[in-house]
Amino acid sequence: MNWLEMILVALDGIWVNKLRSSLTVLGIIIGVASVILVLTLGRGGQSKIMNELESMGSNVFVVYVNQPEDGDYNKYKITSEECKIMRESIEGIKALTPMAYASPQVQSRRKKENCMIIGTESCYNQITNIPMVKGRFINQNDDAAARKVIVINQKMSDDLFGVGGDALGQVITVDQTPVMICGIFKNGSGMLEGAPRAMAYMPINTFLSMFPYSGVYELDGSAETKEQVEKVAQRVLKSLEIRHDAVGKKAYMVFNMEQELQSANNVMSIITMIISAIAGISLLVGGIGVMNIMLVSVTERTREIGIRMAIGAKRTDIMIQFLIEAVVLSLLGGVIGVMLGLGGGAIVCLLAKIPFTVSIGIVLLAFIFSSVVGIFFGMYPANRAAKLDPIEALRYE
Amino acid sequence: MIEIRDLGKTYNTGAITLEALKNVNLDIEAGEFVAIMGPSGSGKSTLMNIIGCLDRPSVGTYSLDGKDISSLDENELAVIRNQKIGFVFQTFNLLPRLNAMRNVELPMVYAGVDPVTRRQKASEALDRVGILDHAKHRPNELSGGQRQRVAVARALVNSPRLILADEPTGNLDSKSGAEVMALFDELHAQGSAIVLVTHDPEIGAHAERIIRFRDGEQVKNN
Repeated sequence: MNWLEMILVALDGIWVNKLRSSLTVLGIIIGVASVILVLTLGRGGQSKIMNELESMGSNVFVVYVNQPEDGDYNKYKITSEECKIMRESIEGIKALTPMAYASPQVQSRRKKENCMIIGTESCYNQITNIPMVKGRFINQNDDAAARKVIVINQKMSDDLFGVGGDALGQVITVDQTPVMICGIFKNGSGMLEGAPRAMAYMPINTFLSMFPYSGVYELDGSAETKEQVEKVAQRVLKSLEIRHDAVGKKAYMVFNMEQELQSANNVMSIITMIISAIAGISLLVGGIGVMNIMLVSVTERTREIGIRMAIGAKRTDIMIQFLIEAVVLSLLGGVIGVMLGLGGGAIVCLLAKIPFTVSIGIVLLAFIFSSVVGIFFGMYPANRAAKLDPIEALRYE
Repeated sequence: MIEIRDLGKTYNTGAITLEALKNVNLDIEAGEFVAIMGPSGSGKSTLMNIIGCLDRPSVGTYSLDGKDISSLDENELAVIRNQKIGFVFQTFNLLPRLNAMRNVELPMVYAGVDPVTRRQKASEALDRVGILDHAKHRPNELSGGQRQRVAVARALVNSPRLILADEPTGNLDSKSGAEVMALFDELHAQGSAIVLVTHDPEIGAHAERIIRFRDGEQVKNN
């Protein structure tokens, strides 16, 4: 008996009990669809987060002053000259800039508010891409001459000059010091950033002269390549430790994006795995449904089994017949489940604005898994059918 | 063709041991028409199951075409049932979901015959029992007599050397019964060996030889 014929016989058996078969298949459908849905959303979310972190630059690192054991922050303060020396001397470095933070009051003729100001250098936009709306970012002349210029974001422009107001070239005061707006950049739009806040960049030397009590406790940098980032960051760290007599004191720490990417990735994968395992339980329940219905079917068709045996079916023929029926049932559920899962995934991805991708691996896995469920849960009923005594089976009413 | 020597069959149902057949000695030649008769419980159905290779003897030997059946495994028995024996049952035992044609094809499906040949041979068999025009009907659309004809077609489609019929007219009215018996006479005339179990003397009269059973034992012919 060839395979095609056996599959046709199985389909026939399934078709005769349409309602029963579809209810049984429903169990598998729900199981497969939920696993596919979870995995698809997990992958979409993962690639969304990856993209965002990646856009921040995966060859980016940060070296910062950690809580020093002696509590003397001043001792570990970094100067922009040091930063410059390191930038020029350390191998594999692409950009390195001091970072200093302050939250002063800023004021236009119209309004005043508090905002976040970051003092940095022109090379900062080589580390992180800063999309400009108008004007320019800080340039090297600003750095060198400590010009009183500021680059603000759209939110701050809207706050100080009204939506649609022209902020470029205007002068605002930051802690009573007038500075000129030389550029406006886009608000961050990442999932990780939340609602936009007013923020601005100023040349570091200008910043330090305006906020004498502040200082540089952080260097942001990027390496030539992603592979070098760890090494380069360590070189910067070592160099700082030697300069500030901080070897072994853990005064400086390194944070690198590559590590963050890895751990974010791992966390996402674990969450996805756990949820899909829970969804997988419904597949198991579906499998038990298949087994149940196959046992009913074997009992109902005892006489048929007897007849088939009398006219020459071997026990293996009977076994394969029922096994195929179980596998066809679960595969049918698998196919419909995959389609529903992917369809549902596409819709949810669209609504949640995360990228939708179809993984052939996941689809294949769903098919393999549902046929394994069919074989596993079909084995016992099929075996029971094959073990029937033909004489008893023929007598069965 | 059939050689049965000192054959016995006992059933163990817990404490009670039931002796369904004892000390049976029987020879049936190729092409012979034999009726096995006896009241219910006489062991004739048990013998039928053994001859049909659905069951094995407890003691003694049964050989079919020179082959000792008790030495064969389950799969070999299935092949013998498929190739050498055609069954006709009292209750027809057609598969209700399949039409007449596909019921007749079934033994050839297990014999591994290709679909084209199968269809052709099934048509021939249905034609032989005079029911080809009902080939597309399912069993529940056929009368008892028609169903039994389909069953006979199924029994003879693999050209077995032996046709085993267990009360083939038991569920038929006398007219259909007579038609089915005419069919057996015709098959016999064409050279098939037929072993028929019945308790109806009128049916038994179609056979060349009658073997009687009582209480699991052969009644000696006088």
